[in-house]
Amino acid sequence: MDQNITEANSPEVLVATESRTPGSVAMSLRNVAVSFNGKTAVRDCTFDVESKKVTSLIGPSGSGKTTLLRALNRLHDLTPGAKVNGQILLEGTDIYRGDMTATELRTRVGMVFQRPNPFPTMSIYDNVISGLRFNGVKKKSMLDEIAERSLRDAALWESVESRLKVSAGNLSGGEQQRLCIARALALDPEVLLMDEPTSALDPIATLRIEELLVTLKQRVTIIIVTHNMQQASRISDDCAFLLMGEDRAGELIEFSTTQKIFNDPKDSRTLDYTLGRFG
Amino acid sequence: MNPMDELTLTPSLTVTHDTIQLIAKSHRARRVLISRVVTALCLAALVISAVPLVLLLVQLVTRGASQLNTAFFTTLPQSPTIMSPNLTGGVSNAIIGTIALTVYASLMAIPVGVFAGVYLGESTSKFASVLRIVAQTMAGAPSILMGLFGFSFVVKFLHVGFSAIAGSFALAVLMLPVIAISTELSIRGVPNTLREAGLALGAKPHTISTKIVIPSALTGIVTGCMLAVARAVGETAPVLLTIGGGYINQWRPLNPVSALPLSIYINAKSEYPSERAQVWGIALVLVLFVFVVSLSARVWAARKQKRNS
Amino acid sequence: MTVLLDNLKDDDLTENISAGPSRGWYHWLIVIASSLFAVVSIGFVGSILAYSFPAWGHAATLITGRGWQSPTGPYGGLAMITGTLETSLLALTFAVLVGLGTSIAIVFLVPRRLRTIVATAVELLAAVPSIIYGLWGFLVLAPWMLKSFDPFLAKLPFSSAIFGPSSQQFGPSLLLASVVLGVMILPTFVAISREVISAVPNDLVEASYSLGATRWQVIKDVVLPAAKIGLLGATFLSLARATGETVAVALVAGGVADVQFHLLQPGTSIAAWIATQFGEAQGNEISALMALGVLLMLINFSLSLISRSLVNRQRKALARV
Repeated sequence: MDQNITEANSPEVLVATESRTPGSVAMSLRNVAVSFNGKTAVRDCTFDVESKKVTSLIGPSGSGKTTLLRALNRLHDLTPGAKVNGQILLEGTDIYRGDMTATELRTRVGMVFQRPNPFPTMSIYDNVISGLRFNGVKKKSMLDEIAERSLRDAALWESVESRLKVSAGNLSGGEQQRLCIARALALDPEVLLMDEPTSALDPIATLRIEELLVTLKQRVTIIIVTHNMQQASRISDDCAFLLMGEDRAGELIEFSTTQKIFNDPKDSRTLDYTLGRFG
Repeated sequence: MNPMDELTLTPSLTVTHDTIQLIAKSHRARRVLISRVVTALCLAALVISAVPLVLLLVQLVTRGASQLNTAFFTTLPQSPTIMSPNLTGGVSNAIIGTIALTVYASLMAIPVGVFAGVYLGESTSKFASVLRIVAQTMAGAPSILMGLFGFSFVVKFLHVGFSAIAGSFALAVLMLPVIAISTELSIRGVPNTLREAGLALGAKPHTISTKIVIPSALTGIVTGCMLAVARAVGETAPVLLTIGGGYINQWRPLNPVSALPLSIYINAKSEYPSERAQVWGIALVLVLFVFVVSLSARVWAARKQKRNS
Repeated sequence: MTVLLDNLKDDDLTENISAGPSRGWYHWLIVIASSLFAVVSIGFVGSILAYSFPAWGHAATLITGRGWQSPTGPYGGLAMITGTLETSLLALTFAVLVGLGTSIAIVFLVPRRLRTIVATAVELLAAVPSIIYGLWGFLVLAPWMLKSFDPFLAKLPFSSAIFGPSSQQFGPSLLLASVVLGVMILPTFVAISREVISAVPNDLVEASYSLGATRWQVIKDVVLPAAKIGLLGATFLSLARATGETVAVALVAGGVADVQFHLLQPGTSIAAWIATQFGEAQGNEISALMALGVLLMLINFSLSLISRSLVNRQRKALARV
């Protein structure tokens, strides 16, 4: 089913893709570890995220999935005492040690958060183009075009087309989350990070977001943290399974295709987890 | 609608990823610079706010500490003369006066304020919501107005004259809304599940209130009262118009008394350097008292809260 | 102070289980206490109004008259009204500009571990009695301004138009009063605005950072708009405090009842004038001072109500997010 959608849409989507071909490495993590005030929260993460695929980070609470995800667009820079070790490469460039600034990185690696967080003082339109405004895009025609494109890509255009100037607070939870997706897409990022984007939504809204993600991966590489095993198996191509070690720090147990993680894992702990024996 | 139709991506038209990145890149240096400049300005503001306040505290301690000795606390003030310009005596009258004023004011304000606050916290009546606004407005009223009230009502209307009771009445009016509001907030902070548990056990409403709600809100209530006392002790304007002052140790309610803030106000304008210097001692005592009371109230409340959670 | 802050945090009218049908002694105790509070509040307004009554025969003089002739009258309040406006607005400008920067610095720049300490220090400073600020202004700042600051001001362009000739006998002046008031209401403003700013949900801050915003863009385009109404409430509350401030202004403003727009000249404010004149006042002058008190009450109550409703709106707006 998922595969069908992808194939049905791929011809026209390919027009939009530049150099980013599916299968190449979008981000690669080499021995990534994150610590707060010297206390390690997650470590030993080494895997490659392939372009135009959905990679999920799964594991029980405390395994450091969200911590790892936030390292990928340097959100830990905001937390005093946080330190990221190892290498994170975005198309070959080390995002922490290269000449890339955090602001630049974040225009290339977008983020969607657990709770829908549209800017309450801005209209729907202003929310979508806020990232462009932050980055100095001022041309009205360009903003309008991207706003429409992003809202369409987030499957929200139909329902908000007539009320773009209305405050974003008036949307339902699911619509707000799609607005946040549109907001992140507006910058046309290479990678989209999603931190349990459906955990605050009802099942129907969740399903719609999941369908959306499967479509979106033709344009953007998606890395998603999820608690929900079914969700991970439904939408992702690859899976990273993390688990809390003995010193309460999360570590990568296994990285493989979703197919393998769920059907033929190498590590017995992965099997235990996917079968629901703990976590 | 068929989701398949909806979920197609619009192809990129004129604006490409590279265009956006290019524009962003051209603005980045300027944006970062502006951000750094404003950040520096904010830090400068922090320093600007801290400097006068730190200077004030440092001068208060350095000038005040040398004034404090046994005589300062235990003897009556004496008037310096041209012959003996350094003769200042102590401020025992003002200390006794301030203690008396604070005790009387607390005796008046705390019972009324606390129970009025309980009412505000437990009642949903129209009267309660009006009284809430009244309390909030009164809590922000300038203290000189409390002085005018104390003067017009106690000194004049009741013909009591300048007295400790007039001053403590004015201070009590100042404390009342503060206590009522903090009590109300503490009462509201008690989780409804506790009340429901009481109801489920068949307790009467007033038993729930006295045995469950008030005890769990007690820390907040006491903290509020302490902060109200700390505020009343340092207030000058209300006592200026009501207590009359005087240079003898006096505490009886119907007699005029002195008070520490009043001594500061009067002696700061003295022509004798010795009296002006002594004022710093009084100020230090006052500030220390206010700090110790408010800080211990806060620390106590925080510790209690931590233990409960 | 703290009460206002607590208010800011939590004033939602949780439906508590009401006292029910039982009308025991306990019910009456709290009803009587709150009625007593209501009576005191009515008495507060009524008593001041009643004693101000004789002065309202000369209401026009009281509001627009220049010069205060005790003990015969007329009693003109214009100098006090203009003095109150000048000092409190100047102080407010200082407190809001510096205070906003300070609050932003505390929330966004001060390390988290120090933040509680700084916040507590700010609240303690807001609790320092105003007489202490007045004392410091009178004994430290006034001589310093006379010696160092006034000559510096005199060198600035348009100095004599704004500040007037520095009065060499007095350190006290409207400018000094504004500075002392500004320093004094600064902790009040910072305490509330810090609270308001840090109440802006962290999700919004992270969301804007993750869109490539710089720190200043996050603050300017997301945090400040979200905190706008609450900051306005803090501003009005600080203004209310500045207009009602008594003894500090009485010590440092100079206590001269002239309508004065040169800031280095002595002046006074409504509250300070009541405090300085009350000692020797008799008869009609007391009524006139009481009437000034009524004016002050009107100003203060309206500012209070405005700030209260703004702060309430802010809380509701943030609760919806």
